[in-house]
Amino acid sequence: MSAERRLGAVPGGDPDGHPETRRDADPLGELLVRTGRGDQAAFEQVYDALAGPVHGLALRIVRDPQLAEDVAQEALVEVWRVAARFRPEQGSARSFVLTIAHRRAVDRVRSEQSHADRLLTHGPRQATTTTEQADHPEQVVDAIDAQWRAARVRKGLAALTPLQREALELTYYKGYTNRQLAESLGIPLGTAKARIRDAMIRLRDTWEGTR
Amino acid sequence: MNDNVHSLIGAYAVDAVTPDERTDFESHLAACEDCTAELAGLREAAATLAAAESVAPPAALRARVLDQIGRTAQLPPPTGDDAPVAPRADVAPASSRRERHAWPRLAVAAAVAAVLAVGGLAGSALLGQRGQTGEDQLALEKDVMMVTSAPDAHAMDLGLGSAHLVMSDKMGSVVAMGEDCPEPTAGMEYQLWVVMEDGSKHAGPTFAPDSDGTFMTLMDMDMDGVAAFAVTQEPMGGSEQPTTDVVAEVGL
Repeated sequence: MSAERRLGAVPGGDPDGHPETRRDADPLGELLVRTGRGDQAAFEQVYDALAGPVHGLALRIVRDPQLAEDVAQEALVEVWRVAARFRPEQGSARSFVLTIAHRRAVDRVRSEQSHADRLLTHGPRQATTTTEQADHPEQVVDAIDAQWRAARVRKGLAALTPLQREALELTYYKGYTNRQLAESLGIPLGTAKARIRDAMIRLRDTWEGTR
Repeated sequence: MNDNVHSLIGAYAVDAVTPDERTDFESHLAACEDCTAELAGLREAAATLAAAESVAPPAALRARVLDQIGRTAQLPPPTGDDAPVAPRADVAPASSRRERHAWPRLAVAAAVAAVLAVGGLAGSALLGQRGQTGEDQLALEKDVMMVTSAPDAHAMDLGLGSAHLVMSDKMGSVVAMGEDCPEPTAGMEYQLWVVMEDGSKHAGPTFAPDSDGTFMTLMDMDMDGVAAFAVTQEPMGGSEQPTTDVVAEVGL
């Protein structure tokens, strides 16, 4: 087989199959770009679209409601501060914002690690409250959308192996580093890194085409 | 020192990295288009996880945030090619301490082909492995090439189809790849094990052959005290310790 044939057999490097990374019309993306130019009205719309996920993610990770609110506030102000660094061609606005929020939350958990119990015990899962205030038609749509998203995530997580789910539970939701993961599970560091990566790849592939 | 910073990509995508690792990875990322593309996909997946956690914040938060942004200066947009890839503005861009080449794809293909020829696998279709996205496959190929082209790389017969094990102490990595690999039993996949001198076994990555029997996998590890590598069939997702008989083994 020639080198060209071989090369042709390799799927292309363009982000085919990742609709959100190539979607031209990401309305949030446009709003975030405008935010980067100092448009506060645009930021307010970004806030309204993503404050729920930012806050919910913070709550899931740091658990304490007051801390979660602080983390959400820091993260959302950070979004304002660094919005000019957002590059629509490199990913969605949602991903940009939630990456910032996740990092803030994880950093906060690590800085509070003297409260080691937070890392050791699972509190009860916070119910999503998006469904509670369905006074307006758009909130009904939001609630349906939230349920759909939750179902989709369950489906994605169900596609993972128990070991992969455990790896994400400890890293993504509890803030373990890859080394802490390896040590707590008694596995080689390379295995820990590979397990996290495999889990994320499987999630991504499971969700592909169902956005 | 393990230079295989690319293997941190999953951990980086979920922030399971130390500040030093973050800096290392970001300096690598700035020079690696493949990583940038793969990271975008992994981040979208992470964002999908996050979006499902939505809990409406107290209304007062909105007023506080809007008040605070009115008093918060914004960073200017990045200029030209120094644009940071990650939304990471509160840390200065890392200097390129251990930057690796962003290998042109043709070079990757050629180098892997060369290694395969050396390893006696000339003409194989390893690069055509399906079931993975282009980004993953390219990333894996690049890592495999880094290992197989290391000055101290050496190949050994694995005895699983026509598979070889290529290890590099310098890279701290071992690659298993080959073709004509038999299908594992339904519901099972192969798993690589590191057998230490004291007989203990450490779990390695799982892998399954393509429809035409080709496979490629890589693991990072410390070669100290390693006596052998073994392969077993394990339930999907792998096991902590082998649960079935060894189907292939190579001693060092």
